[in-house]
Amino acid sequence: MTNYIPTIGIEVHVELKTNTKIFSPSVNGYGMGANMLTNVIDLGYPGTLPTVNKEVVNQAIKTAILLNCKIRKEMHFDRKNYFYPDNSKNYQITQNRTPIGYDGYVEIELGEEKKKIEIEEIHMEEDTCKSAHRKDVTLLDFNRAGVPLIEIVTKPCISSSLEAKLYIEKLREILLYGDISDCKIEEGSMRCDANLSLRKCESDPFGTKVEIKNIGSINNVKLSLEKEMIRQEKLLDQDETFPAQTRRYDDKLGDTVLMRIKEVGNDYRYFPEPDIPFLYLSDEYIENVKKSIPMTADERREEYQSRGISRLNADKLIMNRSLSDYLNKFLSTDIDFPIASNLLLGDISFYLNKHFIKLDDTKLTDEKFIDLVQKIKSQILTSRNVKDILTDVLETDKQIDELIKENNITNIVDNTYLESIIEKVILNNTSSVEDYLSGHDRAFKYLMGQVMKESKGSANPKMASDLLESKLKKLDN
Amino acid sequence: MSRYLEKSVVELHELLKKKEITPKMLVEECFERIEQHKDYNAYITLDKERALKEAESLENMAVDNILFGLPIAVKDNIITKDLRTTCASHILDNFIPIYDATVVEKIKAHHMIIIGKTNMDEFAMGSSSRTSFFGPPRNPWNKEKISGGSSGGSATTISLGDVPFALGSDTGGSIRQPASYCGIVGMKPTYGRISRYGLVAFASSLDQIGPMTKNVYENALLLNALIGRDEKDLTSSYKEKEDFTRLIGQSVEGMKIAIPNYFMSDIVDGEIKEKIMDTIALLKKKNIMVDFLDIAYLENAVTLYQIIAMGEASSNLARFDGIRYGHAKENPKDIDDLYYGTREEGFGEEVKRRIMIGSYLLSGENAKEYYNKALSIRDDMRKALLDVFEKYDFILGPTTTTTAYDLKDSMDDPSKSFLDDVLVIPVNMAGLPGLNIPVGLSCNDMPIGLHIIGKPFDEAKMYQLAAFIEKELNLDKNLVGGDYHD
Repeated sequence: MTNYIPTIGIEVHVELKTNTKIFSPSVNGYGMGANMLTNVIDLGYPGTLPTVNKEVVNQAIKTAILLNCKIRKEMHFDRKNYFYPDNSKNYQITQNRTPIGYDGYVEIELGEEKKKIEIEEIHMEEDTCKSAHRKDVTLLDFNRAGVPLIEIVTKPCISSSLEAKLYIEKLREILLYGDISDCKIEEGSMRCDANLSLRKCESDPFGTKVEIKNIGSINNVKLSLEKEMIRQEKLLDQDETFPAQTRRYDDKLGDTVLMRIKEVGNDYRYFPEPDIPFLYLSDEYIENVKKSIPMTADERREEYQSRGISRLNADKLIMNRSLSDYLNKFLSTDIDFPIASNLLLGDISFYLNKHFIKLDDTKLTDEKFIDLVQKIKSQILTSRNVKDILTDVLETDKQIDELIKENNITNIVDNTYLESIIEKVILNNTSSVEDYLSGHDRAFKYLMGQVMKESKGSANPKMASDLLESKLKKLDN
Repeated sequence: MSRYLEKSVVELHELLKKKEITPKMLVEECFERIEQHKDYNAYITLDKERALKEAESLENMAVDNILFGLPIAVKDNIITKDLRTTCASHILDNFIPIYDATVVEKIKAHHMIIIGKTNMDEFAMGSSSRTSFFGPPRNPWNKEKISGGSSGGSATTISLGDVPFALGSDTGGSIRQPASYCGIVGMKPTYGRISRYGLVAFASSLDQIGPMTKNVYENALLLNALIGRDEKDLTSSYKEKEDFTRLIGQSVEGMKIAIPNYFMSDIVDGEIKEKIMDTIALLKKKNIMVDFLDIAYLENAVTLYQIIAMGEASSNLARFDGIRYGHAKENPKDIDDLYYGTREEGFGEEVKRRIMIGSYLLSGENAKEYYNKALSIRDDMRKALLDVFEKYDFILGPTTTTTAYDLKDSMDDPSKSFLDDVLVIPVNMAGLPGLNIPVGLSCNDMPIGLHIIGKPFDEAKMYQLAAFIEKELNLDKNLVGGDYHD
């Protein structure tokens, strides 16, 4: 098999979290009965006119800033004309000639290396309605018609399926943290189309372009591109040509499936939307929107690491927006952030996941959280203690001190008592002690376990471990 | 039959206030007159029952404004809730809207009574109202002649004296040209002056609703009620409300008028030019300065108009597909069959022709070659006209090149309908206000109209000049179309 160089470009559509639709005052929402969230404008009634939702423009400006795009100061909307039942006016209002953002990039990390995925343009447009195909009819639900979309188009600069996946992950993170969209790929609020072509060497012209439409998950971005590469490589190896086409990824089949051959010169008869005057953005306006951008994921990552949180934990926090937001409440305090992040990602997450609830649904207060972190730091509470009282911390209004009292937690900060326990353990476990002394490190763990057991969990593990080690070392001498 | 509708609006208002007449009496008289004039085919849909009920409900209400209780006819491309709105097309002949156009809300808020929907060219495409699916209206001055178009029904019913007020729409002369042919006053206000929300779009960047009345003063009164920024129409202007009658009666001395040589060239009938020259002579006597000059691009206006109007129309009319409202092909095989069948059956020839040409003009590279170029020349044309207004208050000329022609004249030449509008189209292209007033009759007793073009948002001053001319010509009475025959 010959090696081919893939060229990939990705188009992403995200639905915006605005209150109303992009060109009408209808509510932008889901979960309502079919056609409940519609008005005469969404239904394309004769005589109706579009208005522009300012919130959408602001979100688009934010997106442009977050994706390092240049922002167009003077722009208009365009009509894209095509007949299809999901399109009530038989034209879509979009931005063709003057997209709001252009020439941006998203930086991805390929191991140690960083790569800029270049953004060709981003623009605002309206979503179409949902069609449901039954036996011999098609049902149309216009609740989605006019939901604001931002389309983000990369240059054909992605050179592997891994890069494609990393780009989508990074883009999703940026948009989520920018409060632009909830980016639920499975629910359709983020939709990806990938364009792929293969060629033998850099100097060759681009190969035939195949578009994979509506990829249903981030993993499938990578998978579908890999499968499609294999499919095309086989054809190319046999010197077979194929027409430009649109395919989709079939999860069950684990391969791409032909949808349609691309028609030559699809003619959308674009022209400037005469019902919407030009938009003019002043520097001041853009600056004000910029100020409303919340702390980005990268800024959080940097902040966390500067406070001693590991990269791994920082990433985990960012994967869980609500925990990250919670931790950010304490950025102005001087709590121990590594302990706080461990607590959030460990026992607290475990509890939340087990009960399918959010942090907001618990009785954890900021004071209790700070208290908890401080007491762990000053070794008044062991991780074992935390496990014991956490349910009460999260489910009751009781203060940490109260819970300590109730649970009879008297941590052995007293060395003499601890020493006596350790000595007892050493006496009763001579074979393990010998193992340890002859270099079997695992024996130490066993001995520690015995110490904790003997102290009924009340020994401070750090202290106990230090003490045990020094006792054992003494024996060695 | 009572003859109240021959009185002026001011007189009617006084009578209503004194409770000497009721709105119901006016509505009844209105429908009697319409019945009498049935063969003029001015209406597509009448709304008698509701209008009478509405009139009755007003009887115990305070007469709170000068338009209170007065009947009005609405062109059938303006959306009226619960009242069939067809655009004179088969494709909408069963369409009963579920909302009101902004202008309709406004006239209802003034307690005016809508009596029906007037005939017009299908989707306002035409200049003789003969493309109507419901047959053409007839000219009150001569039944064998056209009423003009596309607001032919509104012009006809006003001229017949059926109703004091009517709404028209003007994309390329569709208010002013039929107003001229029927001898009435028709104003196309500045683009943006009146909300287009609820006006079924023909060419969005050119369309504008306007008042059609028997005389200048009443025209200004109706315009007062229609204007204002509408948050539902982003192209509507933020201009404050104003009283358009406020300058009527004030001296016109010292006004400056430009007459483009093109408007008085060979394209215009000699007889019409004479009448315009008579009017000019009258103005000169009042120390009004009149200059003849050349204005660039006027000759290109029709070509540019065709490109822009048809391009936009091809997109605006795409929504009529038989899925959500209007006519639909029965038992279609598939979606394409529904599209083709519905539009094949639903649209008339002229509409189809314009959709096809418009689609072609926007197709592929053509958009750059034609539509974009037309937009840019249109900017130049607007600038050229605005330059004239640096020195002059008005641009004047005839509204039409001929008087109303025969209904049976051939419709085979599709460009004829555009050439009818050669003098009125530049106004739409530049977004300016334009007003027709009658200035006399031809030798075959057909009305001749004067076209007054103003600066953007200068309608009040246009009414001032128009009212002056009207008075000088002794035309400020309520003449009924055909009166000169009787």
